[in-house]
Amino acid sequence: MLLDMADKKLPFFDVSKARGPRSGPDVGKSKPVKTSGKSPSQPMSVSLLITRIKGALSDAFPKRISVVGELSNFKLHTSGHMYFRLKDANAAIDAAMFRSSASKLKFRPTDGMEVVVTGRVDVYDARGQLQLYAESMTPKGEGALELAFRQLKEKLEKEGLFDPEKKKPIPAIPRALGLVTSPTGAAVRDIRRTLARRWPGAEVYLVPTLVQGEGAAESVAQGVRLLDANAGKFGIDTIIVSRGGGSMEDLWAFNEEVVARAIFAASVPVISGVGHEVDVTISDLVADVRAATPTAAAELAVPDKNEIARHIEHLSGRLRSRVLHEYRAASAGLDAIGRSVVFRDPMSRLRSFIQRIDELGHRLRASVGESLSLRRKLLEPIAHRLAALHPARLHERAKGQIEKLKSRLRWALGARSKRAGDKLSQIQRRLEARHPRIALNLAKQRVDGMARQLEALSYRSVLKRGFNVTRGPDGQIIRSVKDAKIGELVETQLFDGEFTSQVKQVGKTKRQSPKKAAKKTKKTDDNPTLFD
Amino acid sequence: MTKEKKITFEQALAKLDEIVTQVEQGKVSLEQSIEKYAEGMELIKQCRSILAKAEKKIQVLSKGEGESLTPAGELEEPAEAEDED
Repeated sequence: MLLDMADKKLPFFDVSKARGPRSGPDVGKSKPVKTSGKSPSQPMSVSLLITRIKGALSDAFPKRISVVGELSNFKLHTSGHMYFRLKDANAAIDAAMFRSSASKLKFRPTDGMEVVVTGRVDVYDARGQLQLYAESMTPKGEGALELAFRQLKEKLEKEGLFDPEKKKPIPAIPRALGLVTSPTGAAVRDIRRTLARRWPGAEVYLVPTLVQGEGAAESVAQGVRLLDANAGKFGIDTIIVSRGGGSMEDLWAFNEEVVARAIFAASVPVISGVGHEVDVTISDLVADVRAATPTAAAELAVPDKNEIARHIEHLSGRLRSRVLHEYRAASAGLDAIGRSVVFRDPMSRLRSFIQRIDELGHRLRASVGESLSLRRKLLEPIAHRLAALHPARLHERAKGQIEKLKSRLRWALGARSKRAGDKLSQIQRRLEARHPRIALNLAKQRVDGMARQLEALSYRSVLKRGFNVTRGPDGQIIRSVKDAKIGELVETQLFDGEFTSQVKQVGKTKRQSPKKAAKKTKKTDDNPTLFD
Repeated sequence: MTKEKKITFEQALAKLDEIVTQVEQGKVSLEQSIEKYAEGMELIKQCRSILAKAEKKIQVLSKGEGESLTPAGELEEPAEAEDED
């Protein structure tokens, strides 16, 4: 094979130049440059050098080799290609895995992982660098699937997809079941048998899916999504994701992330029943209920009709016996009532009633007679008041009132005439006042007044001449010493005013200076007065 | 009791359970308990008839337009497993 491959490389470079004469099995140990026909002194291009190295490598190694080592510098490029270094304690080699191969990897390579890489060794022309071109990679120690399973499980666990509190309960009796499985597999057969045995009335809607191989995972995931989206339309309240037993590779679709995500996202509870009892898939872990097998999934999804029938019989018996019991109790109660005194001697109650009525009648009559006379007494004054209200009396009263009103009217009229008379006599008086005789009298009076005034004036002139008038406290003119009393306050009037003095001494006809007398005693017996 | 046809088996069973409990607890009058008895017996009849119903076929769905599923007939009696053990 090695030789075949080398031959196929012929179009790229001259094999004879690269490694000299064919020498069978030890070809890898040949020294191509030295045995070359060309002179060593003549320089070759870099490209030619790389080409020759490539040729030598291709001769030296089989087309596919497997190398074991530790991953380091692992990088997954956005293009999908993987770049990493494979190393052991003493050596390292760069490696690349292109997308076409990398996408088939089930697990995620990580630095430090011991892996076996299968591929070819070659030189990266642009850098003249030796590289391992990996076509496949498997973890050392465990299978790639086991590792992939472990990795996905850890990842989803961390995200909480397996959390018990996220699990939805499945209905005890489903309205309709959604089934995601192959229409021709063992799973659908087992499920159908189980349903027929336990719950033949179950409505089941199957979405046929691939359950293994290329596209199976996506098919299962889509089945779950479609059933969940159409759950309302068909009344589906439980979904079963199922597949019969098989190898880990066979069951692999149920370990894919896309299936896990679809199950987790479903709003309808999902039962996963994949493989045999021993198989645990990611689908089992994410599902709301894990069933060991497809049969177990169907058993969990529906109740057992026999059990339900027994339950119904039980309920039926309880209902019947209870109602019967109540009926019996009621009719027994009725019998007891029928036997009571009331029904045996119905007149006994009646008799006591009759007696009581008689008694009440007596009491009523007695009390009526008594209260009647009492009422009569009460009635009398009322009757009087009522009599007062008799129409005849009322008429009388009205008549009296009319009389009264009449007299008031008369009086009022009289008063008016009297007022008129008064006024008349007033006018008469006023007229009389104007009578000439009256005027004459008035004139006479005025003359008299004037005469008196004149008189007074004459007395004032006397005062002016030096005489005065002294009056006692009683206002009387003191005419004689007999009228003066010692200690009395007297008032003396002069022509231009008056003064007050106190009587100190009273004597008879002794002459004193008028000044002193005026001061000390107002009174002197010889005080001239006009009125003497 | 035609309107009761619409209730699911589970609902019918739950209702039956409730009736029995009510009657047993003596919270209903004798007349009511007899009514309940009649109702309960009707539910029992219904439940029994559901249980006794002919076996239902599995409906196969196929993808219609968009995200919808449409019935595509009944699942045939399965032959022996083809792609699995």
